[in-house]
Amino acid sequence: MKQLESQYEKILSDYMFDQSEKNLYIAQNFTRQLIQKNISPEDVVNIHKNAVGKIFPDRVGEDQPAYDFLIEVMVHYGMAHREHQSLLQIQAEYEMEMKIATNIQKTLLKTVVPQLSSIDIGMISIPFRKMNGDYVHFLHDREDYLSVAVTDVVGKGVPAALCMSMVKYGLETLEYAYKDPSYVLEVINRVIEKGVDDSMFVSMFYGCLDIQNSIFSYASAGHEPALHYSAKQGKFFSLEAKGLLLGVLSESKYSYNEIFLEDKDIVVMMTDGVTEFRSREDLNSREIITSLIVENKHVSAQQLCNILYKQIEKILDFKLSDDFTVVIIKN
Amino acid sequence: MDMMIHFKEMDNKLYGFVEGEIDTFTASRLREELEAVKITEGLEIELNLSKVNYMDSTGLGIFVAFYKRALRENGKVKLVGLSNRLQRLFEITGLSDLMDIETDKKVELRK
Amino acid sequence: MTFKSSVEIITEWDIVAARQLGRDEAKALGFGIVDQARITTAISELARNIYLYARVGVIEVEKVETDVEKKIVVIATDQGPGIKDVRQVIEDGYSTSGGLGAGLPGVNRLMDSMVIQSVVGEGTTIRAEKRLR
Repeated sequence: MKQLESQYEKILSDYMFDQSEKNLYIAQNFTRQLIQKNISPEDVVNIHKNAVGKIFPDRVGEDQPAYDFLIEVMVHYGMAHREHQSLLQIQAEYEMEMKIATNIQKTLLKTVVPQLSSIDIGMISIPFRKMNGDYVHFLHDREDYLSVAVTDVVGKGVPAALCMSMVKYGLETLEYAYKDPSYVLEVINRVIEKGVDDSMFVSMFYGCLDIQNSIFSYASAGHEPALHYSAKQGKFFSLEAKGLLLGVLSESKYSYNEIFLEDKDIVVMMTDGVTEFRSREDLNSREIITSLIVENKHVSAQQLCNILYKQIEKILDFKLSDDFTVVIIKN
Repeated sequence: MDMMIHFKEMDNKLYGFVEGEIDTFTASRLREELEAVKITEGLEIELNLSKVNYMDSTGLGIFVAFYKRALRENGKVKLVGLSNRLQRLFEITGLSDLMDIETDKKVELRK
Repeated sequence: MTFKSSVEIITEWDIVAARQLGRDEAKALGFGIVDQARITTAISELARNIYLYARVGVIEVEKVETDVEKKIVVIATDQGPGIKDVRQVIEDGYSTSGGLGAGLPGVNRLMDSMVIQSVVGEGTTIRAEKRLR
C-alpha cells in the first residue's frame, strides 16, 4: 500500500504541474494496477486525500473533511463492488457446472442411429441453447422391427434436460412393449404426470416399423404430425394422430394408427422447432419442408436431414428459435 | 418482444386480456400474473388471446398449468379469440379436446 | 484490557448513536480513517438489521487491547424472529442484497470475521471483529 501511495502521489503531482494527456494515460495504467490489486474505492479516495495533503500542505484542513465524507460514501460502493466480484466468481463456477452438466447430458442422452441393411435411417438434432430439449430414442430388433420415439420437452434448458432423462429411462424400461405405440405413450404419460410439475410436458411421436411387412404403426402425444411421402402417388400425407401431451392428465388414451409403406416411401418425423418459422411467419413451413424433400428424395436419409437443416436455417436467416430435430426413414 | 395482461371483473366473471408475444422470455411474467389470480368456487375466467401474435410451447404450458389449477379449485377457464395458428397449436397438442376453447371467428359471430 | 460499552436500538436514531460509539472507539484504538468508516458502516448495517427485523436490540462495542493484538469487537443482540438458514444470509446474491452489496455479507467483508448464532423464535447474536494492523 505504501508503494502504491507514493506512486499515486508522483502521478498526481506530475499532472498538477503539467495537465497533459500523457499524464492522464499514465494515470489510466496505474488505475489498472489498483483494480488488479483489489484496492477498494474507499482506499483510493484515502490515497488521493493523503497525496493532495502532501502536494499542497498549506491546503490541509480545508478539504480534508470533504474527503472523509467521500470515504464514508465510498465504503458502501466498495461493498457493492466486492459483492459484484464475488458474484462474478460464482457465475464462473455455475458456468463450469453447466458445462459439466451439458457434457453429462450429451453422454446420457446420446442417440445412436441404427444401421440396418434393409432401410435407410437418418437423424439430426441441433439444440437452440446449450442443452437440448429434444430427444430421439431408437430401438431395433434385428432387421425385423425398428421403433423410434421423437420427443420434445416443453420448456428449455436444465429443467427440460432433467425431464428428458426421465423419458429416456421410461422408454428403456418399456423395451418389452416397443411394438405397441399407444401402450408406450400411455405408460410414459403416467410416469411424467406423477413426476413433474403442472407446467412441464413432453410431446412425443412414437412409430414402429415392421420391416418385413412394411407396416408403420404410430401414435402421437400432442406432437407435430409426421409426414409420409408416397413415392407411387408422388404425394405427402400428414400422419395425424389424436392424443394429449404427456404429463397433463394421468389417464390419457392414445389412438393406434398404421400405414403400409411401399418401396421408396419416406417417413419424416420432426419437432416443432422444424415447422415453427417464428421469424418468417409469412412462409408456409410445411410447404417448404415437403418441397425440399421432393427435390432431394434421391439422397440418403442422413443427407436429407442435413439438407433440411441447412436450407431451413438459411431461409430463417440463421435465426432458429428452438431445438431442431428431424428423423427420416426411407423404405 | 413484450407481453401484457390485464384483468377486468364483470358480472362475477373474470376477463383476462393477453397481448403480445408469449415465449421463454415473457413466459415467467405471464405465469406469475396467472398464479396471482385468486380462484374461488365456481368462478368463470375467460382469457382473450386475440392479440397474442406468437406463442411457443412454454406459453402453452403456462395455460395448461392454470387450467389444471382452476380445475382443482373448482373454477372454470375458457380461452377465446384464438388465431388459426394458436388454434392449430392447441389441436396438435390435444389440448383443444381438454380445454374450453373458442376461435377468433366464433367470438366475432357472437358480437 | 477490555473496555465495553453499548447502545440500545429502539428507534432509527439509535442507529446513529451506535455508529458514533463505534467510530469513537475505533479512533481511540488507533484505526485509520478508512477502517473507521468500515467499522462504522458495519455497525450501521447490524443496527439497521435489528431495527428492521427484530424491532429492538443492543449493539455492544468492545475494545480489546492485549500484548499481542488490538481489536474491536462488535456484538449485535436481539430477541427477534431469528434466522432460519444462517448460511444463506451470508452468501452473496442478488436476492439478499438487491445488488447493493449490503446486509450481512457486506458486514462480513468490512470486518475480519463474523459469527452468527441464531435460534428461530428466540433471537440472534452476531459477533464481528476487526484487528488493528
